[in-house]
Amino acid sequence: MTVSNTAWKPAAPPSTVAVPGRPSDQPTRRARSQRWRNLVWVAPAVLLLSIFAYVPLVQNLGFSTLKWDIYSGRQTFVGLDNYSKMFNDPIFWKSLLNNTLYAGISIVFQVFGALILAAMIEGLRSARWRGILRAVYFVPSAISLTVAGLLFYFIYEPRMGILNAALDFLGLHDFTQAWLGQENTAIFGIIAMSQWQGFGYCTLLFAVALQRIPTELYEAASIDGVGPFRRFFAISLPLVREMTSLMLIVTVSGAFQVFNEVMVMTSGGPNNSSQVLGTWLYRSGFVRNDFGYAAAIATAVFVITMVLAALQLWISKRRRVEW
Amino acid sequence: MMFPKSKQLMTALVAGAALALAGCGGGGSQAAAPLDLTKEPAYSGKLSILTKFGGDPLEPYFKDLAAEYQKMHPDVSFELIQETDQSIKDKTKTLTASQALPDIFFTWAGNWANNFIDGGLAADLTPAIAPGTEWGAKFGESALKAFEKDGKYFAVPLYNNGKFMGYNQRIFKELGITPPKTFEELISSCSVLKSAGYEPIAFGNKDGWPALHYLQQLFAYEVPTDVLNADFHPATAELNDAGYLKAMKQFSTLVNECTGSGKDSNGVLYTTAQQALAEGKAGMYYQEILEFDTTASKDSSLKKDGLGIFRLPAAAGAKGDTEAIEASPEGYIINAKSKNAALAADFMKFATSTQNAAKLSAPPYGQPSSVKGAVSEQNSTAPVVEGIKQVNEASDAIVWLDSVTVPTVADAWLAGGEALTAGGQSPEQVLASVRSASDAAK
Repeated sequence: MTVSNTAWKPAAPPSTVAVPGRPSDQPTRRARSQRWRNLVWVAPAVLLLSIFAYVPLVQNLGFSTLKWDIYSGRQTFVGLDNYSKMFNDPIFWKSLLNNTLYAGISIVFQVFGALILAAMIEGLRSARWRGILRAVYFVPSAISLTVAGLLFYFIYEPRMGILNAALDFLGLHDFTQAWLGQENTAIFGIIAMSQWQGFGYCTLLFAVALQRIPTELYEAASIDGVGPFRRFFAISLPLVREMTSLMLIVTVSGAFQVFNEVMVMTSGGPNNSSQVLGTWLYRSGFVRNDFGYAAAIATAVFVITMVLAALQLWISKRRRVEW
Repeated sequence: MMFPKSKQLMTALVAGAALALAGCGGGGSQAAAPLDLTKEPAYSGKLSILTKFGGDPLEPYFKDLAAEYQKMHPDVSFELIQETDQSIKDKTKTLTASQALPDIFFTWAGNWANNFIDGGLAADLTPAIAPGTEWGAKFGESALKAFEKDGKYFAVPLYNNGKFMGYNQRIFKELGITPPKTFEELISSCSVLKSAGYEPIAFGNKDGWPALHYLQQLFAYEVPTDVLNADFHPATAELNDAGYLKAMKQFSTLVNECTGSGKDSNGVLYTTAQQALAEGKAGMYYQEILEFDTTASKDSSLKKDGLGIFRLPAAAGAKGDTEAIEASPEGYIINAKSKNAALAADFMKFATSTQNAAKLSAPPYGQPSSVKGAVSEQNSTAPVVEGIKQVNEASDAIVWLDSVTVPTVADAWLAGGEALTAGGQSPEQVLASVRSASDAAK
């Protein structure tokens, strides 16, 4: 196993530098034709991606500089006013904080928690139990977020929900409350549901990554008297670094794009306490009729997720593990 | 302040690109020209309709209407988009933004309808439906006036609505409670109900608007009418009348003293509260006329116990209009850009025929038609008849707080209502945040 301090680089392509008097070294007609054929193969994907991703992205940037009345269709150029409004909007900052909270908690549970659980499952001797537990943890991920949100809405319901009933049963009546109806608990109620829903998926992916590690490494470590904790930190953790990076990107990006569960469970309330950027964007456009401002929030979400993804990719590529 | 030339050039480029990308400089705000509805339409084509009749028990109403109309005119087909009270707001705005509004679409009165009128999206129906015309003569004048602007009429009022406290007659009789005449009596009756093991007033504010309905009625009682009307419009709003604070304190008292869920009510659905009254677990539930027949449906225990209604009582010494009621008709706009406008108008005439109006006003629909004489003891339930009677007798009809003012102010009220319910903000803080939203909307 080696740990390289440089980013992985693909093998250099065959040299196509022309040498005078050696026409055979120049790209042949066949090679040129092959290159065009390759471009034709990727063109539909590039075209579709442009139409459905890049053009709307650039268009959104345009909309964010407008005040747009959807009823009359009147659009007035307001420059960067929507961005200035955004920086002075306390609900925007509250939403950003909630997204950050979402990302932080998700990293703890869905990345590191899931990795530990996956290591424990893969460490079991019984293949049967490994399979059963992987399935058990994965089942919540097969439920759609909207359905899970609705399900948890009823779990949290203050008077009929099973959470308060369970607390009552355990003699913890003082802890019962309207989990989604109070400003200080609503966002945590949603985040908890999201962890339940996404935990199994991450565990499964980590389990797959752990299965790819050669068993000889563990065997050699055991012969050398290395215990399970040391094996986890010295072998498992470094060798699933790429999967960990991927999960970090997916989890953090997902935390900044969260929408469905918040809409179903609280619509951002009460008193905007559980707003996240996605729902505040939606509310600004579709409830408050401020579509230009909504586009500005969308641009902010895009910039945040792009920067985070680029940062994580850069960090993960700096130390690549090979074996 | 001077900027380097490169920055100025960059700014100009960004601005130019933004304008080009967004197709800036679109249409202007102007009401649509009157439609010529005097000619008989060509009875062919497809009519698209966006209704607020999604879900049980309302969904079959427009389906049946379309089927009957199709029997008379086989070349006409329909595309029905049926949404619920909650989902229709987003659906309508999505269709508006994408310029895909159907031929006929639902509207509330107030700022909601005015947006379509000002944007030139509502057909001017004045020649066909104004008071004094053959069609217009079928409706109560106040219903027509709800969709009138600058002397022109822009929507067909399909049914009336109003907000009342519904109560379980059996429970009230058993406990010797009579419908309260003042707000103070209402609060006193809550303790009697509570001691008997009932939830005094069922309340679910997950969606935010149930709190607004209480607040708007209490504002009408506590704030002088001219001040209240001026405060609905950001240009004239001052929002500094002491009546607002008084009304909000009354609302907080009601939440804390009378509702079973109290400060937890933001976590409860309004349908859960409705169900509590329907099942005889709660003594009262503040509801719209449109809900009466659903709450007291034929299988409910409330149907056996009897649903009674009374207006949310005003507090002693209230400085506003204590005879005003929160009520507003709901209607349907004909899209000014529709190619089938004449056919759409003909269909709406059919929908408001005496027979169809009576059908709409009867169970299971229970939507009191705006057509004169449609609501009667013969075809409507007693609470619906009584509700409409009281709406007609009221000194003024106050439109819902979430549709009477501009969306940003309505949204601030909504957040404030949730904060008051949970006890997170004081009335002074709520009023300050609404004032700030109103100032920003000027």
